[in-house]
Amino acid sequence: MSDTPDFRELLGDDLTPEEELELARVDSLLRSVPGPVTEVPGSLTHAVERIGTTRPIWTRRRVFVAVALAATVAALFFGAGRWLDQGFDARASVQMTPGTSAPDASAEIELGPRDDATGNWRMRLVVDGLPHLDGNDYYVLWLAKDGEYAGACGTFNVSGRTTVDLTASYDLSEYDAWVITRKGSDSWLLSAET
Amino acid sequence: MATAESDSRLIERVGRGDREAFEQLYKRFARPVLAMALRQLGDNGRAEDAAQETFAAVWRSAKSYRAERGTASAWLYAVARHAIIDRARQKRENAAEAPDEADARAGPAERAEESWLTWRVHSALELLPERERVVIELAYWSGLSQTEIASYLDVPLGTVKTRTRTGLARLAGLLEEVRA
Repeated sequence: MSDTPDFRELLGDDLTPEEELELARVDSLLRSVPGPVTEVPGSLTHAVERIGTTRPIWTRRRVFVAVALAATVAALFFGAGRWLDQGFDARASVQMTPGTSAPDASAEIELGPRDDATGNWRMRLVVDGLPHLDGNDYYVLWLAKDGEYAGACGTFNVSGRTTVDLTASYDLSEYDAWVITRKGSDSWLLSAET
Repeated sequence: MATAESDSRLIERVGRGDREAFEQLYKRFARPVLAMALRQLGDNGRAEDAAQETFAAVWRSAKSYRAERGTASAWLYAVARHAIIDRARQKRENAAEAPDEADARAGPAERAEESWLTWRVHSALELLPERERVVIELAYWSGLSQTEIASYLDVPLGTVKTRTRTGLARLAGLLEEVRA
């Protein structure tokens, strides 16, 4: 804890005992923490100003997504209500469309029932044609809205055709697309309309 | 501050997509977030990235904030902490580096407590009127005497003393439940 500034020099000698007690507590707090940053860089402020107002990452990508999604609308199977193996009660399924980064990939999201107690949606992702990732690398399934990755639904790796069980606690009606990306990359590998 | 809109109210407005509230929240918390990121990441660029990600996450997830579950300050602290931890994790994955100097000084619990205390103090400072905040920061962290602060700010010494005393009294109210 720092000895400077001098408490008396700072506040004088005319404090009441109550004031002195209260201000000494704050004085002690200030001495016990490091100083704040002196100023916020303009580059950070500019970057934050863009959040939510523009879609810098997605403007171009949204066009691709829109085109891809238009082509897959017919492949959506909401309300299919079919039972799958291992007791997973699929209520709907969504076929994902590969992007140019993974033209040979395919994926299907099967939506199970929503747990009323927790609000979690059960989901099963069946994915094929993506390469296995080494080290700490992984894929991410996102919910997107207005071209931005808005909610992560889980991470996974693959080995050939792979089935992954995931949950999402989001209100799906608030999102407009499912997207699979690779960790740390903005580039979508597969996508589908919610 | 009676006149300042509460952090909770600001976050709720951000949750409804209110840009003005988001800008106010940024002005109020940019320095505490950046300071925390700098302390934990030790690198200006990475700290800026983490701060940017913090506010992006605030914009994305403000609608999930529920005042009854905890204070707005604690919610923002958690959001910032997650963004900073993510950035630190990337750093570790990208290069095998020696642990931060702070790691050797204190255990995780102590560090967490220090970090939370610092966050509370820095956040409270942001609620002070600018003229009071400046004299307090100069007094405690620049090493300047009251006379030097008066000279630096080109105001009478008595003004510096008044602002310091008023600012500290205001901080006492804002940090009523906090103990060093």
